[in-house]
Amino acid sequence: MAEHAGSRIGQIILGIIVLLLSMPLLVMYIWLVESAFSQITYGIIPQGFTLSNWRFLWEGFTNMPSIWRITWNTLVFAVVVATIEVFIASLTGYALSRMKFPGRRMFLSLTLVLHAFPAVTLLIAIFYVLLVLGLYDTLVGVIMVKAALELPLGVWIMKGFFDNISWDMEMSALIDGCSRLRTWWEILLPNIRPGIAALSIFAFLSGWSEFLLPYIYTSSFENFTLSVLLRRLVGDFRFVDYGLLTATGLYYMMPVLLFFIFTQEYLLNIYAGGTKGTTV
Amino acid sequence: MEVRLERLSKHFGSVVAVDDLTLHIKSGEFVALLGPSGCGKTTTLLMLAGIYRPTGGEIWFGDRLVNDVLPKDRNIGMVFQSYALYPHMTVFENITFPLKLKKVPKEVMREKAQRVADMMQIGHLMDRRPAQLSGGQQQRVALARALVKEPDILLFDEPLSNLDAKLRLTMRGEIKRLQHDLDITSIYVTHDQVEAMTMADRIAVLRDGRLQAFATPDELYNRPRNLFVAGFIGSPPMNFLNARLTAQNGQAIVEGNGFRITLPEDLGRKALSQAQREEVIYGIRPEHIRLDPDGEVEAEIYVIEPLGREDLLDCRLPDGTLLGVLVPSGHGVKIGEKVRLKFQLDHSQLFDPHTEQSLLWN
Amino acid sequence: MAQQTVVAERAALQVEPSWRARLRAITTPAFFIGPALLLILIFFFIPVILTILISLTDMSVATISDINFVGLKNYERIWRSRTTMKILKNTFIYVGFTLTLFNVGMALILSLITTHIPERVGTTFRTFWLLPRITPSVIYAIMWTWFTADAPYGIVNQFLSPFGITPKNWLNAQPWLVVIAANGFVGTSFGMIIFTSAIHAIPVDYLRAALVDGASTLQRIRYVILPMIRWPILFVVTYQTLSLLASFEYILLLTDGGPGFYTTEVWSLYAYHRALSNYFGNVQFGFGAALAAILVIIGVIASVVYLRVFRFSEMVAEPKIEVL
Repeated sequence: MAEHAGSRIGQIILGIIVLLLSMPLLVMYIWLVESAFSQITYGIIPQGFTLSNWRFLWEGFTNMPSIWRITWNTLVFAVVVATIEVFIASLTGYALSRMKFPGRRMFLSLTLVLHAFPAVTLLIAIFYVLLVLGLYDTLVGVIMVKAALELPLGVWIMKGFFDNISWDMEMSALIDGCSRLRTWWEILLPNIRPGIAALSIFAFLSGWSEFLLPYIYTSSFENFTLSVLLRRLVGDFRFVDYGLLTATGLYYMMPVLLFFIFTQEYLLNIYAGGTKGTTV
Repeated sequence: MEVRLERLSKHFGSVVAVDDLTLHIKSGEFVALLGPSGCGKTTTLLMLAGIYRPTGGEIWFGDRLVNDVLPKDRNIGMVFQSYALYPHMTVFENITFPLKLKKVPKEVMREKAQRVADMMQIGHLMDRRPAQLSGGQQQRVALARALVKEPDILLFDEPLSNLDAKLRLTMRGEIKRLQHDLDITSIYVTHDQVEAMTMADRIAVLRDGRLQAFATPDELYNRPRNLFVAGFIGSPPMNFLNARLTAQNGQAIVEGNGFRITLPEDLGRKALSQAQREEVIYGIRPEHIRLDPDGEVEAEIYVIEPLGREDLLDCRLPDGTLLGVLVPSGHGVKIGEKVRLKFQLDHSQLFDPHTEQSLLWN
Repeated sequence: MAQQTVVAERAALQVEPSWRARLRAITTPAFFIGPALLLILIFFFIPVILTILISLTDMSVATISDINFVGLKNYERIWRSRTTMKILKNTFIYVGFTLTLFNVGMALILSLITTHIPERVGTTFRTFWLLPRITPSVIYAIMWTWFTADAPYGIVNQFLSPFGITPKNWLNAQPWLVVIAANGFVGTSFGMIIFTSAIHAIPVDYLRAALVDGASTLQRIRYVILPMIRWPILFVVTYQTLSLLASFEYILLLTDGGPGFYTTEVWSLYAYHRALSNYFGNVQFGFGAALAAILVIIGVIASVVYLRVFRFSEMVAEPKIEVL
C-alpha cells in the first residue's frame, strides 16, 4: 500500500506515537547493554565503565557449575531440539501436504487443534510421563518434551512450505525413478531450504531461550541451562550485583541478538508463516 | 510399446473424471488426447504415468498389466506444461537425474546426456540452471530429460501451452519429427485441436470423461461420428441448423427455416435409412459454403471478420440463426447486404438431435 | 470437472490393488508420520488422560506410597475453597486486561500505525516488537524488575520523578500493572503480525475508493479497515484468551504469585504451585492436576471449536499424487 493517506506531518506524528509506544522496550534493552559494562546504573544513566561484570567468564560463579558447562548444555539443548523438530516436522509436513493416505484429514485437524491447544496445562502430567520413562532430570527428557510441544507449530509451518512446491516437479521426479522418500530428500527438501533455515532458527532460538521445561524437569547441577542459572542468580543476587546479572544476561542473549540482527526478514516471515492460513 | 486402456475409469469422490475408457494404442503411434478443460485427458495421462491409481479398469503396457506398477518402474518419459525442471540442479544434472537413479556409470551417463542434449540443441547449456534459460530452452531440457532414459512410452501434458506462438510452431514440428525418428509410442494431451490435428496419427476426443471418438485427423474432420466431435473439431466451427429430413420422389430433402436442399444421392440414402424421426440437425462447415447468386439460401451479412487470407462472414438467416461462411478476401460484400449462399452439399453432415449421433457415419 | 454422479454398479472392470501396493499404502505414510505420531502420543495424548486420572486421586507427597482414588473430591475442594474465588478474580484481571490493552488493543494500534507510515519504517518497528518474544523470559523478567525498581535504580521512577510522583518499587506497589504490561509487551506481536497481514490483504481498490469518496484516515480505518479485519480480530481474541489462560511463565518470574499472599496468583500458576513447586513442602499432585484438568478441558473444547468456527479443514487441498 504505497499511497497512504495523510500528509508528511501526519506521518511524522504517527512515527512519534509508535516510537513512544516502543519506548519502554527500547529503554530496557539499552539498559541491559550499558548495565553489563557499568559499575552501576541509576535509571538509564550508567556510572563508570568496567569489564569486571564479565569476570564470570573466567572465574565462574560461586556454588555453580562452570559457565562453559552450562553454555554447552544450553547449546546442546537448543541444537538437538531444533534438529529433531525440523527433521520430524519436515517428514510430517511433507506427508500432510503431499500424500494421500487414510486419516490424513484427521491428522491435519489434530495438528491444528494441538497448535491452538495450550500445552503448558500438561506440565504436571508430563512430569509423571518423564518419571515413568526414567527421563526426569535428564537433558534427553527435556529435549524430547520441548521438541514434542513445538512440533505442531513446526509441522504446520513445514506443510505450508511444501504446499508451495510445484506438483509437476514431484510427479516428474517419481517418473524419473524416485520413490516418495527419495523425492522428499532429493527434490523437495532442496527446494524449501529457506523454509528449513527459517524453522531451524526459530526452533533454535526457542530452545535456547526455554526456561520453564528445564526449570521444572531438571534439578541437578550437571543439567543446568543458562536460563536456570540466571533464575538462580536472581535469587542469589537480587538487588546485589546487577552488573554481573546483566552481563550474564547479555552473554546469554548474544545468539538471540545476533540472529535478530542478521535474520530479521526471516523472523517476521516465520511468524507470519506460523499464523498464515489461520487468518480466515 | 503397445498401450491398452481397458474400461478405465477414475472417480474423485462423487465426480467421475474418466468413465469407462477403452483405447488401444499401437506401438510407435502418436496419439493425441483432445478435449476441453476438465474432460479427463490429463487424468488419463496421469494414470498412464502411475501418478493416479485407476478406480476401475486396466492399463496394459505390451503384455504387462501396470495398474500397480510404480511410476519409476514404468520406463516412461513425461514432459509437463510447466517443464517441471529441478531448479536446484544444472541442466546436466537435470538431464542425467533419471540415469543417476538407475545407477548408470558416470562415463555412460555423460555420453548419453551429451548425445540427447545435442539432439535437442542445448548441448552448450549444460552448466546453466533452469532459471537462466528461456521457456523454449527449458522445454528442450525437459524433453531431453524425458528421452535420455530411452523410455518405452512418452507422455506429453500440454507441453507447448506456455510457449509463445512462434516458438510453439517450431517445437510442434520438432516434436513430431523426433517422435517419428525415435519411433516411441507417444501420448500427447492438448486442448488445442490444431496441435492435435497436425501432430497426431490418431486423436482421442474426450468429453466429460467419455471417449467421443478415436480416429485419424482426416476422419474426425470429414466424418465426425457425433455432434460434439463435429462442433469441436474445425475452426471456425461447423454450422448447425435445425431442419427436417423427408423423402420426396426418392430424394432426401432437408428443409429448415428459409432453406431447402436436396442431399446427394449416397448421403441421402444413408441418412434416410438411419433417421428415426423427421427432425435432424444439419451441419455444414464455414469453408464449405460460398457466396453465389444461385445459392439456395438467402441471408443478410451481419458481421465481417477479416482473418487475413480469408474473411469469416457471419450471415443471418431469416429466422435469426447465424451462419459462419469462410470466403476468400476481396468478395466485396458489406455489412447489411443481402446475399445468397451455396452449400457444397457433398460435405453435408446430419445428426439426430436426441442421440446426437451422426446419421451418416455410424 | 463435470459433475456426474456415479452410476451405481456399472459393470466396470474392477481391479483390486496387489498386496504390495496395499502394504506400500501403509508403510510409506507410516514412515513419514510415525515419529510425530509417537511424540504426540507420549507428550500430548497420554498427558491429557493422565491429568484427568491424577485429578481423581489423592496423590501427594504424603500419600505417594499409598495412592487412593477419591473421585471428584479434588474438584469439590476447588469449588469450596475460598482461595478459588481469589484465583478466579486474578485470572480474569490478568487475561482480560492483557488481552484488551495489549494483545488486541496495542496490536491494533501498532498494525494500523505501521501500515500508515513508510513501509520500511513500519517493518522496522514491527520487527523490533518481535524482540521480546525471542528474548529469553528470564532476561526479560530481569529487565522489567530493574525497569520498575525503587529509586535510585529504577527507570520508571527516573522518568516520573520530574512530575512529582513519589519513587517506589512498582512491582510491589502496582504488581498487576507490571505483570500485565510485561506480558502484554510480549503478547502484542502475535496480534500485530496477524492484523498487519490482514490489512495488507485488503484490496487497494477499497482503500482508494474510500479516499476518492473523501474519507479521512480515521473514517477509513473505522469504516473500511476495521470491518474488513473483524475475523482476524476475533481469531486473535479467542486464540490469545486460551494462551493467556494457560500461561504463567512471566508471572512466575516476576512476582511468583506475590507480593504477599496470592496477589497475582492466576489459575495456571496456582495449579503449578500446588502440583510441582515444593515451595511449601507439601506438594499435592492430585489437587494440582484437578486445577490443570479444568484448563485442559477448556483448552480441548476451545481448540476444537476454533477448528469448526474458522473452518480450517476447508483450507485442506487434496494431494495430486496418489501413488505412495
